[in-house]
Amino acid sequence: MIRRPTLIAAAALLFAAACAPGTNANQDIAPAGQEAKGTVEFWHFFTDREAKAIDTAIAKFEKDHPDIDVKVTAGQDDAKMLQAISSGKGPDVGLSYSTDIVGKFCASDAWRDLTPYLKRDKVDLEQFPETVRSYTSYQGKRCAMPFLADVYGLYFNKNLLAQAGYAAPPKTMTELADMAKKLTKRAPDGTIDTAGFLPLLNFYEHTPQHTAPAWNAQWLTMDERSAIGTDPNWAAMLKWHKDLVDWYGYDNLQKFTAGLGDEWSADNAFQQGKLAMAIDGEYRVAFLHDQAPGIDFGTAPLPVADDQADRYGAGFVTGNVAGISANSENPEAAWELIRYLTTETDSVVGLANSIKNVPTTKDALASDELEADEQFQTFLDIFANPNTSTTPPNASGPKYVEMTQEFVNGYLSGSSTDLGGGLKDLDGRIDQALDLGR
Amino acid sequence: MTSVLAVRESTVDARRPVRRRAPRRWRHRLTVLSFMAPALIGIAVFFIYPLFAAIYFSFTKFDLLTTPEWVGTRNYVYLFTHDPVAWQAARNTLWFVVVLVPARMIAALLTAMLLTSLKRGGGFFRTIFYLPALAPPVAATIAFVFLFNPATGPVNGFLSLLGIDGPLWFDSPDWSKPSLVLLGTWAVGDLMVIFLAALLDVPKPLYEAASIDGANGWQRFRHITLPALSPVLVFAAVTGVIQTLQYFTQAAVAASVASGTATTGGGVSSTFGYPEQSTLTYPLHLYVSGFRYYDMGYANALAVVLFVVAFAVTLVLLRRFRAFTGGAR
Amino acid sequence: MTVVAPRRGTMLRDPWLVVVARNSLAIAAGLIFLAPFVFVLLMSLMTSDQALTSNLWPTSWHPENFVDIFTKLPMLDYLVNTMTYALLATGFMLLSSVPAAYALAKLRWRGSTATFVVIICMMMLPPQVVTVPLYLMWSNAGLTGTLWPLILPMLVGDAFSIFLLRQFLMTIPDAVLDAARIDGCSEWQVLLRVVVPMARPGIAATAIFQFFYAWNDYYGPLLYTSEEQSNWTLSIALSQFKHLHHVEWNLVMAATLIVMLPVLIVFFFAQKAFVQGVTLTGVKG
Repeated sequence: MIRRPTLIAAAALLFAAACAPGTNANQDIAPAGQEAKGTVEFWHFFTDREAKAIDTAIAKFEKDHPDIDVKVTAGQDDAKMLQAISSGKGPDVGLSYSTDIVGKFCASDAWRDLTPYLKRDKVDLEQFPETVRSYTSYQGKRCAMPFLADVYGLYFNKNLLAQAGYAAPPKTMTELADMAKKLTKRAPDGTIDTAGFLPLLNFYEHTPQHTAPAWNAQWLTMDERSAIGTDPNWAAMLKWHKDLVDWYGYDNLQKFTAGLGDEWSADNAFQQGKLAMAIDGEYRVAFLHDQAPGIDFGTAPLPVADDQADRYGAGFVTGNVAGISANSENPEAAWELIRYLTTETDSVVGLANSIKNVPTTKDALASDELEADEQFQTFLDIFANPNTSTTPPNASGPKYVEMTQEFVNGYLSGSSTDLGGGLKDLDGRIDQALDLGR
Repeated sequence: MTSVLAVRESTVDARRPVRRRAPRRWRHRLTVLSFMAPALIGIAVFFIYPLFAAIYFSFTKFDLLTTPEWVGTRNYVYLFTHDPVAWQAARNTLWFVVVLVPARMIAALLTAMLLTSLKRGGGFFRTIFYLPALAPPVAATIAFVFLFNPATGPVNGFLSLLGIDGPLWFDSPDWSKPSLVLLGTWAVGDLMVIFLAALLDVPKPLYEAASIDGANGWQRFRHITLPALSPVLVFAAVTGVIQTLQYFTQAAVAASVASGTATTGGGVSSTFGYPEQSTLTYPLHLYVSGFRYYDMGYANALAVVLFVVAFAVTLVLLRRFRAFTGGAR
Repeated sequence: MTVVAPRRGTMLRDPWLVVVARNSLAIAAGLIFLAPFVFVLLMSLMTSDQALTSNLWPTSWHPENFVDIFTKLPMLDYLVNTMTYALLATGFMLLSSVPAAYALAKLRWRGSTATFVVIICMMMLPPQVVTVPLYLMWSNAGLTGTLWPLILPMLVGDAFSIFLLRQFLMTIPDAVLDAARIDGCSEWQVLLRVVVPMARPGIAATAIFQFFYAWNDYYGPLLYTSEEQSNWTLSIALSQFKHLHHVEWNLVMAATLIVMLPVLIVFFFAQKAFVQGVTLTGVKG
């Protein structure tokens, strides 16, 4: 038999080897003026058409920097990036879909601190609006650069609205509810044929985080504790949605959504004319032009709560963010790529035009090259609105948003009926969950 | 391989006169070692070590990017007092144990009995009944979610022909687990074949004698069939419970397909448990805690609790199982 | 193993109504068991648009869908990955588990019962219990993102396979082994020259089980290959369809059939070994 001491020794060795995950970050940077060169591995999450747009931008970058060779991998999400970085195989540059990961990556140094590079190359951070600057840094550490932003507003089908006698989109929540009811067409058996507006908050881009800014509902307090139970706007927002859900009938809504097409396909419900009004991001403009030219649509900011009419024009913004992995072997070239993609006006405008997202630098927004038709301009305006907000960063990633999502789902479906008590309970649970990761 | 060992044998033989103690025993032990070495390494590396490591890590906090930091019992406190999702997940898994295992056993027994009662075509039907068990779980789950789509699926279509308003199946928190049970009983072929073999082993004269004595069908079943089947039933129950404690794939895939939410950047695990945590089994909760939220210390605490429960079940069942480990000892 | 129900005594003859009822029940059950397969087949031959409706019968037939899944997606890569995983895992398992099973079944040594109990405990352990530490181990070895964390452990034995093989090997009469030993064979020679040929059906059944376990494995590849798309297996690819491209469900169904195909083929050719293996796990315990 294997000797016991040998077994223990082997176990101890394995223990030690497996015991310590972690990253090794080397923070030395080159002096100013040196030409970066080498290979840069670049991961992003885009697919299909949008991935091609990235490829075009990369090609331009490589032309301007002949010594740098970029290897692109598409379709990579946050989880993959985190796993790769933790096992030492992270890409040099990673592009994340949302700001969820910023808190965690900054706090754990998974993404390098970019401050030395920013100082050395004298990057003007004032180019980015305040909100954008806030979601690319965490607790004073800036580990990410904003890539492009996604801004969410209201899309409406002009034909369907006209048929019901409406010429303009709703500006308040009461108007939205009224219009939604009038625009809904039902089949003889009571099931929904066309919906005016879908009040579920787990459908397509109808989510609590996209809707909260319309009600000025706060997520976290300044010291990263949950504000949901104490902010009355949350109760107001959820009650409004519940009332509309009850009017439709929850089962009817579930049946209706089960038969709708995939959000990202040409069978998108709004693109098929099955929804009169929908919340969606600015990228939907390009999808509509591309896949549903027959739909005459308009865009507008989200309606606001009745008592907050002066906040009309605000919306939800989130950005794609990019950072350099701690284990990057060529941080200089990686930084060069990030700097180019996120601050070079031509590049930013070019990307904004091809992917049809919102550019994040003030110069790009003011540029003549920026293609913005009437429908797209709406989103640029929302972006510039000072009341536009995002989900605050924290070290536990998307946890608090997802816990809220679960509660909201339960409340809207009727599983839980105590709104006030439920929100307070959610408060406590979020705090506990955030503590777990502290 | 044989030649190498032949060399080893003769070397030992040559050394024989020099050794003092019983060389045959050592030679035998060496032989056994040569057979068992890989398996023993496997036990140490992939069972003993990670078990103790999991226990150690459950008292720490870390994600993949940071080193483990000792936090004492904080994870367990959270588990037992602050995580309602863990309790929901435990309830879900227990629900499956209590419902899915008997359902499959009953379905297997009924189909096996049906097969034995057929005079002709038994083999043909046996193949048909067995086929669903061959379908890969992911594929079968996707097909089922589609079949049971409340709006466009043929099941609700068929029900509406009968005038019944079909439920939301995989999209309803009340029906999602029963839908998974339907999936599990559809794929009951593997269990059915075992029951069939056992049923066929029961001597026919026993039944005939009982009939002559005036026993009816039910009495024959209760007093002849069931006792004869008892070891197989125990086996089915034991393996069923163990498998169901680990129930993961079908629940994960069903939730992810039925939820239909696009998760471009979020990855598939954000859909687990759909709808409303009704399909979140305990192993799924463990996976989400560890590999979506990266609360790895906490995930290990969940793992330790799962281990304790599985171990308790194993202990109880090992008593029964002792009959199986015996054999020619 | 008899596959057809043996005939009953002539004394008891069932009334024809019962016979009809039984056969109708069998036919109905058969239809229910087959329905999902038929459904998948029909959907795999439709257009993408029709797949979203409740129309079951394809209005137009598109067998080219089966070709499409290979051109539109790296289906071939996934197939190769899955095949590699299944074949290597099975091969490695046999190398490590057959000797161990033999030692447990036919060799007498102190600690064999204890070891066997440990093996049974391993079988009963939910894999999720040890997932995190094992994942960390592989992460430190730099092997996450590949299939190696799933394949390499097979080199050091698989609990279920050892158990199954042991049960098979125990049915081999000791007399045969003793005869070989008397003839001067070492234990390894006994194993390789006498036992393995005799236990071929059992070994084949175990190999088939391992192959399908790997082929159908979802949890393992989900853990270790999610981050590296080029290493995905079919089970991951199928479940991730909707996160890659806009979903074309008719193609998903076609892919589903492709995933099922090898299983069905092996089954039809190895039916006997299959059923024998499944039965022996349960009946002989």
